[in-house]
Amino acid sequence: MSLYVRRGAGSPTDAARWSRRRDVMTNLRSVIGRAYPRVIGSTREPSWVLFEVLLPFLTTSAFVFVYRALDAPTEYVGFVVLGGAMSAFWLNVMWLMAAQLWWEKDNGNLELYFTAPIDLMSILFGMAVGGLLATCFRAVVVLSIGTALYGVTFSVEQWGLLLVVFFLTLSSLYGLGMVLASLFLLWGREAWHLTQLMQEPVYFVSGLNFPVGRLGFVGALAISTIPLAVGLDALRQLAFAGGVASFGTPSPEVEALVLVAMTAIFLFAARFFLRTIERLARREGRLTARGQ
Amino acid sequence: MTGLTPSFDLGRTEGRGLRETFRGYLTAARIGWAVEANWADPILFFTYSVAKPIAAALILVVMLDIVSGGQAPAYRRYVVTGVALWSFVQGGFAGLAMSVLEDRERYRMLKYVYVSPTTFAVALLGRGTARVAIGGMGALTTLAFGALVLGMPVDPARVDVLLFVASMALGLVAIIALGLGMAAVVLQTRQDSWSYPEAVAGAMFLLVGAVFPLAVLPGPVQAIGLVLPLTWWMEGVRRSLFPGGVSAVGGPGSLFTELTGREAPDTPALLLALLGTTLLVTLAAAVAFRVSEHRAKDRGLIDQTSGS
Repeated sequence: MSLYVRRGAGSPTDAARWSRRRDVMTNLRSVIGRAYPRVIGSTREPSWVLFEVLLPFLTTSAFVFVYRALDAPTEYVGFVVLGGAMSAFWLNVMWLMAAQLWWEKDNGNLELYFTAPIDLMSILFGMAVGGLLATCFRAVVVLSIGTALYGVTFSVEQWGLLLVVFFLTLSSLYGLGMVLASLFLLWGREAWHLTQLMQEPVYFVSGLNFPVGRLGFVGALAISTIPLAVGLDALRQLAFAGGVASFGTPSPEVEALVLVAMTAIFLFAARFFLRTIERLARREGRLTARGQ
Repeated sequence: MTGLTPSFDLGRTEGRGLRETFRGYLTAARIGWAVEANWADPILFFTYSVAKPIAAALILVVMLDIVSGGQAPAYRRYVVTGVALWSFVQGGFAGLAMSVLEDRERYRMLKYVYVSPTTFAVALLGRGTARVAIGGMGALTTLAFGALVLGMPVDPARVDVLLFVASMALGLVAIIALGLGMAAVVLQTRQDSWSYPEAVAGAMFLLVGAVFPLAVLPGPVQAIGLVLPLTWWMEGVRRSLFPGGVSAVGGPGSLFTELTGREAPDTPALLLALLGTTLLVTLAAAVAFRVSEHRAKDRGLIDQTSGS
């Protein structure tokens, strides 16, 4: 029998009591449901390939040419290419996750999310999955074309750790995105400005185009608080083993542990904040109405 | 009869000439400023307006210092001025397109703006003005930061005021014209186009020698850069503020030097190139906007939100 067939219940409380399996299945369906429009939407108008993949590659190229104008070693060009690829994930987290609940509120959908019998984390996870297709495509394009065009040579000795660090970076980034999604909603209509504020300043302190260790205390602070900074630094050390990338920062193994801690902390905080906004929305009727 | 005048005020449908157009422009500019600044927390707004360009400049300064060991002050001036000026481009170029997107997708007001007595392009220009002003604020702050913190003060006695004023005036016209062209594009897009203006601006960042001389680019790419007014605008402003600095256009290996045999363009040639390319871009943008507006009206795109 289907999980979704209505069964008679003695009371509203009984009706609301779901089995674990039904709970999990409903949340999985909501992940797919929220990812679906993003995936399908991207096939409806292919202009995004030009505007969101090829043109941003040119922006990354601008930084490559800065190093070229300075006759910098090729390794630095590699840093820019890697940074350009990873910035795609940061932008995805900022625009398509952190700002999204506020955006849904503006569109009038947020009330539906709060009244639906699903966890908000499923909705946010669905957004992430849906946005990942285009983001991964952009990252791969920047990485592959950048590597081929600008003659970047990677020197990887620990492929396993590289992959682990990459996925840990993504999980901590999306955990942070969930935290910010609820905070942006609480802070009201400043979400747009906040998202803008989280671009260049974060790129700078995270050392997007140069080894973050060069920033001294600021770099150390970034490594202990911003997943992009620590993830990028670890990836750089692993992708350009034995080079200048390891200047003044912890080893990739230590940074992987930092990422594990960040993932746990951000997911826990996200759960707490999402519960808080859910409570405010359901019990006090706040946050969900457009213009509030 | 009620005693009310029976004659219909034609001015309500046909407009009341330049005065009314200017009033519409001012109103749109005020709305633009309100949307951008007044509705935001002032501290956050200030931080956002200033932190972005300063951080962008710092990224490049650190890159520069890592490689040169702080031994390239001329290039540092070049980079910081380029980033400062780029604030105008980000504000002005993206401003008009973002006005279309915000009014259509977010506030759902575009159709009302369109049927109002003010010409649509004038309303958009007004909205874009606020962003140019914010961009100007970012540019000034970045230059001040460069002078006070990064050790690259502007010597007022050496500033070529005439060149500065002429370059800025033409450059701003060019930025607004390019913005109008971008607005024409997003009037047609039916998908999530929020990132488009910034993406195009980012691509131009590569082409106009904002942070490195064009000579490092391949020849055909340099040719594209030389056709864009922003290249000449930046060259003009840089030269007016820091005479004798690094040239974005000329120098060894540049297409300009190869074609003209000169190290760098002289000031009259620079202004002439800026004027010519600005006229070209303005004309192209006006035509593109007219065609786009006509097509959008014809296909009902003005009030069709994409739900993005």
